[in-house]
Amino acid sequence: MTAAAWLALFSPLGAAVALAVLGDRISRSRAGLLVSGSVLVSFVSSAYVLARLLSEHPEQRSHVSTLWTWLSAGDLQVGFEILVDPLSVFMMLVVSGVGFLIVSYATGYMRGDDEERRYHAYKALFVFSMLLLVQSGNLLLLLVGWGMVGLSSYLLINFWHQRRSAVAAGKKAFIVNAFGDATVALGLFLVIQRVGALDFATVFGSAEAEIGRSNTVAVLIALGLLGGAAAKSAQVPLHTWLPDAMEGPTPVSALIHAATMVTAGVYLIARTHVLFELAPVVLHTAAVLGGVTLLVAGVIALVQTDIKRVIAYSTMSQIGYMFVAAGVGAYGAGMFHLMTHAFFKALLFMAAGLVIHALAGEQDIRRMGGLGRELPRTTRAFLIGTLALAGVPPLAGFFSKDEILANTLDGGPLGIVLFVFGVAGAFLTAMYSFRLLFVVFRGKQSEHVQHHLHREPNEGPLSMVWPVGVLAVLAVVGGLVSVPGGWHAVDTWLEPVSRPLVHPAGWMEAFSPILSVCVALLGIAVAWRLWGQASDLPTALARRYPLATVALERKLYFDEVYDALLVRPAARLAVTLERVVERPIVAGSARATAGGIRGLASRVAATQSGLLRVYALVVAVGLATLVLVFISVR
Amino acid sequence: MLGPTVAAYLVLSAILFATGAAGVLIRRSPLIVLLALELMLNAGNLALIAFARQHADSGGQVFALAVMVVAATEVVVGLGLIVAMSRKKVELDVDALTELEG
Amino acid sequence: MILASLAGDVLVWVVWVVAAIALLASGFAVVLFRNPFHSALALILNLGSLAVLYLLLSAEFVAAAQVLVYAGAVMVMFLFVIAYLGGRADAPWASSQAAVRVAAVVTCVVLLAEVVLVIALDARDGLSSAAEITEGFGSPRELGRLFLGDNLLAFEVSSLVLLIGAVGGVILGATVRRGEVEE
Repeated sequence: MTAAAWLALFSPLGAAVALAVLGDRISRSRAGLLVSGSVLVSFVSSAYVLARLLSEHPEQRSHVSTLWTWLSAGDLQVGFEILVDPLSVFMMLVVSGVGFLIVSYATGYMRGDDEERRYHAYKALFVFSMLLLVQSGNLLLLLVGWGMVGLSSYLLINFWHQRRSAVAAGKKAFIVNAFGDATVALGLFLVIQRVGALDFATVFGSAEAEIGRSNTVAVLIALGLLGGAAAKSAQVPLHTWLPDAMEGPTPVSALIHAATMVTAGVYLIARTHVLFELAPVVLHTAAVLGGVTLLVAGVIALVQTDIKRVIAYSTMSQIGYMFVAAGVGAYGAGMFHLMTHAFFKALLFMAAGLVIHALAGEQDIRRMGGLGRELPRTTRAFLIGTLALAGVPPLAGFFSKDEILANTLDGGPLGIVLFVFGVAGAFLTAMYSFRLLFVVFRGKQSEHVQHHLHREPNEGPLSMVWPVGVLAVLAVVGGLVSVPGGWHAVDTWLEPVSRPLVHPAGWMEAFSPILSVCVALLGIAVAWRLWGQASDLPTALARRYPLATVALERKLYFDEVYDALLVRPAARLAVTLERVVERPIVAGSARATAGGIRGLASRVAATQSGLLRVYALVVAVGLATLVLVFISVR
Repeated sequence: MLGPTVAAYLVLSAILFATGAAGVLIRRSPLIVLLALELMLNAGNLALIAFARQHADSGGQVFALAVMVVAATEVVVGLGLIVAMSRKKVELDVDALTELEG
Repeated sequence: MILASLAGDVLVWVVWVVAAIALLASGFAVVLFRNPFHSALALILNLGSLAVLYLLLSAEFVAAAQVLVYAGAVMVMFLFVIAYLGGRADAPWASSQAAVRVAAVVTCVVLLAEVVLVIALDARDGLSSAAEITEGFGSPRELGRLFLGDNLLAFEVSSLVLLIGAVGGVILGATVRRGEVEE
């Protein structure tokens, strides 16, 4: 079984290495096939591992497999090891399953790009990193996967490196993620200092005894982990990189910035919930961050005009839900939403990709409109994704989101506040998602649409269409895995790894869906009133509240604040250092050293007369001096 | 041990060594430099054999024989070089060989 | 008995003094003679007096080797070469580099003084009394045993050095001959 897990881990790495070695000796289409095949191998292996785990007793579903001792420093031993347990298998299935669909889609989307092979190699590297992250059996290897995921995300965001904006977005993503990596590393140092080990079993087993509850160290460790989680999952205030990351190719956005990488923060909290529970303050902070993020992102999504950015803010908002779930201790609900979100958000991104593909790269929704008649299949896929996102029953998003809301109701006073946030978020979600749907697919066709669509009237090649279809089906039925009041398959499955802290009562599981569906329908109605038909209400509103509109269009000024507080002072410091330290001291000393040596050398070279007897004399003088030294130190 | 002590032999050896060294440093003819080198080597041999006697250990004599081997080899190569120089019509004067000048 | 020992001691002293004077005188002669031929002859005398000193130090085999190999074979080669090149005179003190000469002499004197000082510092305790020797000390048998036993590697390396020297000598001669043909 662990062999299958290792195969699942290394199969994408093999593909990436093979592509790097082969270079242009492999054809472009074969490169895409190789990568999708390798991810399919991962998925099949993960499914096999799942089947094997299912045949075991729930309490014994945990297997560690160590290849070698990777790092040995004093008493600290860190192995290159993977952990196979319900949580990791769950993530493996999501990553490799959705990953396979998206990679297959990408072979169609990227066809004809100049550097298609590089793209596929990066994608395989990303899948490997993500699998390493979720499969690793200790915190250090998890951090390695964590960092590699950030690296491959960086590589993919600025894949189109000719675009300045793409390069800037990649750098931004990498820097924010590196900040998160650093805080995780700091947390790990504290764990090493207190526990002296990094493998999950030891750390979680002795965490309470060695670290203690609610003291400074526990809080610092949890804060470090939370910093990493928030950065990776684009939660306020570390979210600014995600909208910019939409500069990457659309399948990248689907895979990394919707389905897998950004949910790693939720996985981290679920995985290390023992450490978080030692510091409930931090766990609650995570929930509050999630609540704030889901509202902030929902509001900003209302006014954005780039189709991918809207979906990106939606992603932040949905991950906010997952953070709320994880923060109140409903890990199963969070992971469930992670899974359904992977389905419908990947679906939305890929459908948006079809739109962008059909419109020759156009991403501005103001230049779209009336696409419903031209792209019927795409419209249906987008509609399914939107309905699932808005939480309309019986689609996937309904079950998972309402499970989260029901769970928050059991979370005490904070939970009530979060519940209110969540319901408000549901309203916003329905509103912005249907705004997108209406603006893109209904109404009058813009000139741009007429210009491009008639020249190239298609909905993409088969390789792009079938993954969308599969995801659409999953977005419809994926939520039935777990039905409130009925069965909780995800909760039960994850129970041995992360036992939930909250247990919603029956009335909660009944009340929250009804309320949220009503709210969602209200949101849809408002969206219809505003954008569903020809109306000047949106412009009138914008004219009436100009300040709010500008603030939202500027994404609440997060970028401006960071620019003023961090970027510009750092740049100024760098310039000053360059002038005061680098040029006179560093470069100056190097130049002075070189000049001095050269002068010395020419003087020494002058003594080299070529006269053998002089050389011999020097040797004799040296000998006499040495003997003198020996006599005097005798 | 009959006769003077080992110290006396060592002083003789030292004087011989200094003489040879002076010869190497002063003379310009490569032939005589070689001869002076032989003096130095033999001074070393004398010290070795004196120490062998001092410690009643024949190892020093073995060492001296090895030095003789080295000396013989050095003479062969050195004389070969001198003959080669003379055939190339190079002046037999160590001061004339200044190709090592930096 | 005591008388005989005393007579032996006196005899050894006499031989030593004679050999030492011959040694130093011939050493100076090697350095100071203008003619290389004379210098070489002086070196033969020097080697001979060394052999006498070796005998006094009970190193019979080394003394024999000294006379046969050194004074015999090596010096004959020297003389051949000198004869071949013609004994060109070389005034020992005539030089363009007078400073070097003075410095050389000073250095050598300093070096000598230092070594003598070291010997004097040790002369009273370490060097005053020599160890008793057995009958076989310095005999060919003992040296042979040492050479083929403890010092086998040194022995083999010495033979290798000799071989390389011989080959080097041949090559130095041969190259020049080929060069002459090319000219």
